[in-house]
Amino acid sequence: MELEQSRSLLEENGVRIAAVSYDSQEILGAFAKKHAIGFPLLSDGGSETIRRFGIFNFNMSPELRAYGVPHPVEYLVAPDGTVVRKYFVANYQHRVSGAAVALREFGTANPDAPAVTLKSGALAVRIGFPSAKAFAGQEVAFFAEFALQPEWHTYGTPLPPGYTATSIAFESPSVVSQYLELPPPQMLHIPILGETLPIYTGSFQGLGTLLLKHPLPDGKLILPGRIEFQQCSDTVCEPPQVLRFKLELTLEPFVVAEPRK
Amino acid sequence: MMPDKVPHDLAEKAAAMREFGRLRAAGLPIPVELRARHVWATNDGYATGPDPGQRIPEFALPDQSGAVRTLSDLAGPNGLLLVFHRSAGW
Repeated sequence: MELEQSRSLLEENGVRIAAVSYDSQEILGAFAKKHAIGFPLLSDGGSETIRRFGIFNFNMSPELRAYGVPHPVEYLVAPDGTVVRKYFVANYQHRVSGAAVALREFGTANPDAPAVTLKSGALAVRIGFPSAKAFAGQEVAFFAEFALQPEWHTYGTPLPPGYTATSIAFESPSVVSQYLELPPPQMLHIPILGETLPIYTGSFQGLGTLLLKHPLPDGKLILPGRIEFQQCSDTVCEPPQVLRFKLELTLEPFVVAEPRK
Repeated sequence: MMPDKVPHDLAEKAAAMREFGRLRAAGLPIPVELRARHVWATNDGYATGPDPGQRIPEFALPDQSGAVRTLSDLAGPNGLLLVFHRSAGW
């Protein structure tokens, strides 16, 4: 189970995990034993706590096994009970992984994390996943660490025509959707052109997520992709470039849950 | 606290969930239209609870060993990742 796999990533940063569902203590005990779960699984029989959190899913008809489930929200809660961050993906097909939380909150990744470094001219990019393991249907986080040599920049968005923004795209039929979040760019004003352009300089990091298709066969999944960018100095702009990469994940089976037929 | 809503179309939503579940259990490809309908069926009117900066409600729930747990004994020095999910029993 992914949360158990990522537990050490979070615990070494002082964050523990607990999960809540409407299952009985007996069911949770069997599940914890079967999957060697090392964190608390809390039993909210009757969904009373789920209701008090305000996340009861009212879309489930009462005769469904799914009646009583919450919307699958995850909270990073400070010790004083304050919500630090809320993670929610409006799609039961996937959820934000523990590894994604660890990456976003602490920038940490597993030692076996697959990563590759690409270089071209003034730019170096290290792109990878926080963990080598994933599940079909999972929202998998990826990171991209960019480093530019001094006096060179690449572009953010929005851009006027004629410039190429910095982007990453995984090119695989196994990827249903993807999103890369880059930090806010600096604004570079070029008086001679009368333009103000969003740029990146120095070192910066992007965090992305991609949604894996479901179903997918277990085992190795190769994910090719490309990084597009345009590097410019104060005096010269290189043509836009494309760097291609391949990353590998190992897909494992996960528990498939479905409404009662 | 949110009042109980009584949404419409529960039967229609249940039908979409059953169809989606049937195809997925059989390992069959899921048409884009059904995928979209399933997202609607399961997420319509979703609410996500307390926002960053707000306090979560107090809770005391038994864990898989029967011990009753609260935030103060669950959290690490930098807090707790509290995950709400469907079920471990399906």
